[in-house]
Amino acid sequence: MDALNPYMDTLIPLIAVLPIAGFLFTAAFGRRLGHNAHLVPVAAVGAAWLIAMAVVYTSFTGGFGEGGHLVKLWEWIPAGNFNVEAAFFVDNLTACLLIVVCTIGLLVHIYSIGYMGHDTGYWRFFAYLNLFMFSMLLLILASNWLVIFVAWELVGLSSYLLIGFWYKKRSAALASKKAFLVNRVGDIGFALGIMAIWVNTGTLDIRESIEILVTHTATLQIPIAVVALLLFAGAMGKSAQFPLHVWLPDAMEGPTPVSALIHAATMVNAGVYLVARANPIFASAPQAMAVVAAIGIFTALFAASIALTQTDIKRVLAYSTLSQLGYMFAALGVGAWTAAIFHLMTHGFFKGLLFLGSGSVIHAVHEEQDMRKMGALAKKIPHTYRTMLIGTIAIAGIPPLAGFFSKDEILGESFKNGFTWVWAIGVVVAVMTAFYMFRLIGLTFWGTSRVDHHTEPKIHESPRVMTIPLWLLAIPSLLLGIVLSWPGPPLGPLFGLEGPGLLASWLHPVFKEGLEIMGREEEAFQIFGIDGALILVSVAVAFAGMLAAWRLFGVGIGPIKGTPRPETVKRLSARVPFLYRASLNKWWFDELNDLVIIRLGGRVANALWWFDRNIVDGIVNGVGSLTGRAGRGLAGIQTGRVQNYALGITIGLIVMIASYVMIVGNGG
Amino acid sequence: MSLDGVPVLSLITFLPLLGAVLIGFLPERAARPVALGTALVTWLVSLAMIAVFEVGKPGFQMAEVADWIPTFGIQYHLGIDGLSLTLVALTTTLSWISILASFRPIKTRIKGYMISFLILEVGMVGVFIALDTFLFYIFWEIVLVPMYLIIGIWGGSNRIYATIKFVLYTLVGSLLMLVAILATAFTFQGTTGSWVGAFDFEVLRHYAATSGFPDALQLLAFAAFFLAFAIKVPMFPFHTWLPDAHVEAPTAGSVILAGVLLKLGGYGLLRFAIPLFPAAALTYAPLIICLSLIGIIYGAVVALVQPDLKKLVAYSSVSHMAFVTLGVFVFNQQGLQGGILQMINHGLITGALFLLVGVIYERTHDRTIAKMGGLAGITPTYVAIFGFFVFASAGLPGLSGFVGEFLVLLGAFAFNPATAAVAALVMVLGAAYLLWMFQRVATGEVSDFLKSLRGHLTDISGLEIVTLLPLGILVVVFGLLPGILLEVIKEPINDVLSDVARASEIPLDPMLVAGALGILAFVIVVRVVTLPGLRRPAAATGEIAA
Repeated sequence: MDALNPYMDTLIPLIAVLPIAGFLFTAAFGRRLGHNAHLVPVAAVGAAWLIAMAVVYTSFTGGFGEGGHLVKLWEWIPAGNFNVEAAFFVDNLTACLLIVVCTIGLLVHIYSIGYMGHDTGYWRFFAYLNLFMFSMLLLILASNWLVIFVAWELVGLSSYLLIGFWYKKRSAALASKKAFLVNRVGDIGFALGIMAIWVNTGTLDIRESIEILVTHTATLQIPIAVVALLLFAGAMGKSAQFPLHVWLPDAMEGPTPVSALIHAATMVNAGVYLVARANPIFASAPQAMAVVAAIGIFTALFAASIALTQTDIKRVLAYSTLSQLGYMFAALGVGAWTAAIFHLMTHGFFKGLLFLGSGSVIHAVHEEQDMRKMGALAKKIPHTYRTMLIGTIAIAGIPPLAGFFSKDEILGESFKNGFTWVWAIGVVVAVMTAFYMFRLIGLTFWGTSRVDHHTEPKIHESPRVMTIPLWLLAIPSLLLGIVLSWPGPPLGPLFGLEGPGLLASWLHPVFKEGLEIMGREEEAFQIFGIDGALILVSVAVAFAGMLAAWRLFGVGIGPIKGTPRPETVKRLSARVPFLYRASLNKWWFDELNDLVIIRLGGRVANALWWFDRNIVDGIVNGVGSLTGRAGRGLAGIQTGRVQNYALGITIGLIVMIASYVMIVGNGG
Repeated sequence: MSLDGVPVLSLITFLPLLGAVLIGFLPERAARPVALGTALVTWLVSLAMIAVFEVGKPGFQMAEVADWIPTFGIQYHLGIDGLSLTLVALTTTLSWISILASFRPIKTRIKGYMISFLILEVGMVGVFIALDTFLFYIFWEIVLVPMYLIIGIWGGSNRIYATIKFVLYTLVGSLLMLVAILATAFTFQGTTGSWVGAFDFEVLRHYAATSGFPDALQLLAFAAFFLAFAIKVPMFPFHTWLPDAHVEAPTAGSVILAGVLLKLGGYGLLRFAIPLFPAAALTYAPLIICLSLIGIIYGAVVALVQPDLKKLVAYSSVSHMAFVTLGVFVFNQQGLQGGILQMINHGLITGALFLLVGVIYERTHDRTIAKMGGLAGITPTYVAIFGFFVFASAGLPGLSGFVGEFLVLLGAFAFNPATAAVAALVMVLGAAYLLWMFQRVATGEVSDFLKSLRGHLTDISGLEIVTLLPLGILVVVFGLLPGILLEVIKEPINDVLSDVARASEIPLDPMLVAGALGILAFVIVVRVVTLPGLRRPAAATGEIAA
């Protein structure tokens, strides 16, 4: 692989260039290619994946050195003392994201060949997907705040296009608009943050500016905590953190591969990436860190509470995504950056898997998304069932699957860093996670069939082009936790090994500075002490959630059998009527937004328009009429008779010329 | 390439006049090709002008000077710097596009229309290259007449109301400006004792930079200039003529109105008002920044609830153009760069949006948003292009609108973070009215209204694409390589900055301010009291439908 090193300056840009080339080609010729429209986009992403893996390998084996590798392209905005360079930058953090984005991106492209096969907009779909890949790759490769912002907006655009892909559906059109606008609210913060960075440091190069910000913290024009919070506002929008979470569930209007790729595995991680990238800034502002942690863990709890009762299979997964993203931000807030990226990676794979699986389910039962009309599908779509079960065990945090390792690290670090409240809420969320995910599996795959009897005989497993990506995603969902944490804790010490895990050592150079600023010291991992105890708690709550779900919604894994108890569910939910209704109605957030933005905002806008037509227009018109017609307003002028206009002009002109003459006399 | 000895600027200015005269002598059917040919030749000459322009050279280039009214030192003085260059190029480009776009929609009195359009081009180009204040005023007024005719004769049903309003508003401003020009010349003559150079911009600028005009004149003359330009921009609260004019104007008229005419105001501020009266500019800057912020938010909010496509784009212009004045009056490099880029970008993008609205109107004879819906399924190519320009207008990075907007915000942030925070709200509001409009027009089920004219609703034609293509290309090129423009406008910006840097604010008499505010309050009260008597024509109002 080292033979490739001299070509890195070409290869790294190619990762982003290939998808945009695929987009341009497909946008221009895709319509004529008909059912072969996927060839170029899939090939482009495949090639990008190959190159990305070479780059990732080089990065992890130290080929770029500790500081990463910079590829300069061109001066994008040369505006005097404000210069923005279009340049790419790869370090180990970028490499981690490259793995997630390229791999899941490629698998989703392949899956879509099957899933979108019958859609008339086949070519359009692949064009948009390639546009998204370009934007997302640009986002993680950018070396400059403003270029990140560009990519940030472009992923917003591709997300808009893909959510609204079925443009004839009004709900899809509304959802895409909502997603774009809510994201833009966060983007205001991000843009202001970028401006603040420039005003503070005079540069927008990420590493340079961070260096200046953290070394001159005391003398900054804009306090560093403000910079951090402004950047976080951007992250909240893209990663759908409370209260900017409202767009993500609606984004499920898009085709399911899109939900998997953009709204679960990649784009929504952008905020986590941003905060991780800016870790020294956040480390210098403990108050901002606390805000991040609080919003993160609150979102985790809030979203999980909604996921408990949703009946739409994709919505459960959407709220689950919100909740897991909340975990990641909680991790960022408590300074467990490696854990956040760890969870980002594992979550990307198992949530991507779960979404693609849900797509396969929806496909099987003929575009039905309501879990109340599913049930007992396990035997009929075995591949989907098995892979989704793996994903579920992974997200529920049951060892030794991937989610256990990353989630446990987040909870453990929160506790050890003194954020016991984050840990406590996190544990509650862990119970809920296991519960709602097994509820989903129970309602969908186990128990008795509630499928419409017309559809029932037509249920079929998806084609191989869809199930193979599922299995390929199941592998990392199974193993990624062990691989990335090996040979470090929690498994390493059991075998007498020492030192950090694989991911921790990869990311050490990236987070070194932040950890130094916070004055964090490495603590020894005590498998028979506090760490062991915390792991036991994590495992216990995961099992508790799972068993509760089994008891209520049934189970059917091999010999483990249980029947669903719908009456018990009803009885239990009737016992907490308010909480049940709140969860079912998503805490009435859509209603609140509707009231404040659509109704109140609409009133204000209409009032302003009235003001414009009557007052503003009237005053300026009135100024003329005051002189010409002694304050009778424009009523006379608007009789529609030309003579009146002519008279008005004449009088006005005379008055004006007279006054000019007077002024000129004085002025000279 | 050398064009020594060739009066390039006069050529660009008066070629269209030649074309107009020619059309006058030719039969009606020759009007279209001759007009287009003239505009294209003018455009080519302007490209030659760009080719020989020396970027980075200070001062004015390709100057042409001849005595005109020597008694008063009035000259025929032309010359361009980077700012003029870009705006002239924008004008010549939009001119041939507009003429081409008029081929189908304009079916009556073609000769008169084309003559008006070419004369309009004479005026617009002249404004951007005149370096004599009197000559500038003449060109300024020349613009008014053909535009008056274009809206008044080939406009919509309520065109008379709109034209009168347009002319009255502009006339108020321009006559005030004439007074200011004369007063400046008188003052100059009074102190130097000579008429030589009393109307020459370069001489006056030098005078302003060395001796400086007296405070009282600065305050009054700047106010007069400002009013003229603010009406043209148009700045809140002088903007209400714009929606009416746009709605009634034919498509090409709207394109030129938004694309070039509004830029006259921004240009005038940068070329004359600020360099000649820098101290007054500094004094008024906080007020102007305030009005700009109001305009940015207000224009966007009012655009949200417009039922008519053209009105929506018109109010969006109010919001976008307020970015220009905001950027200019924070008086730093980024703000000025952003302000000028915003002028160019607004010309390209909003021009394109009006062309696109024209495409719908041509087929449906309607612009009511509520009647549209589902166009994406009927006219996919049209919707793709429409979407492109909608996102360009919303400031999508990678396209040109973003760079200007961001630089203005950056300049504003350096001036005062709160200013930038308010202006940045437009990132949401702007996207909101644009995407909501796009959603209602392009997505969903095909509306009953559109269904009823299925046959007539053809996708965008090749000719229409030709008019939009150059704009689209420029939007992408300037989005990816804004350095091209930034390099060209560097010198003019430095000039403005050094003019302002030398000046210091004029202390205002509190009594004067109180008096002005009192008069304003009186006018408002009178207006509100007499409000019930105000009834405008039915066509100009209309309620919003979801």
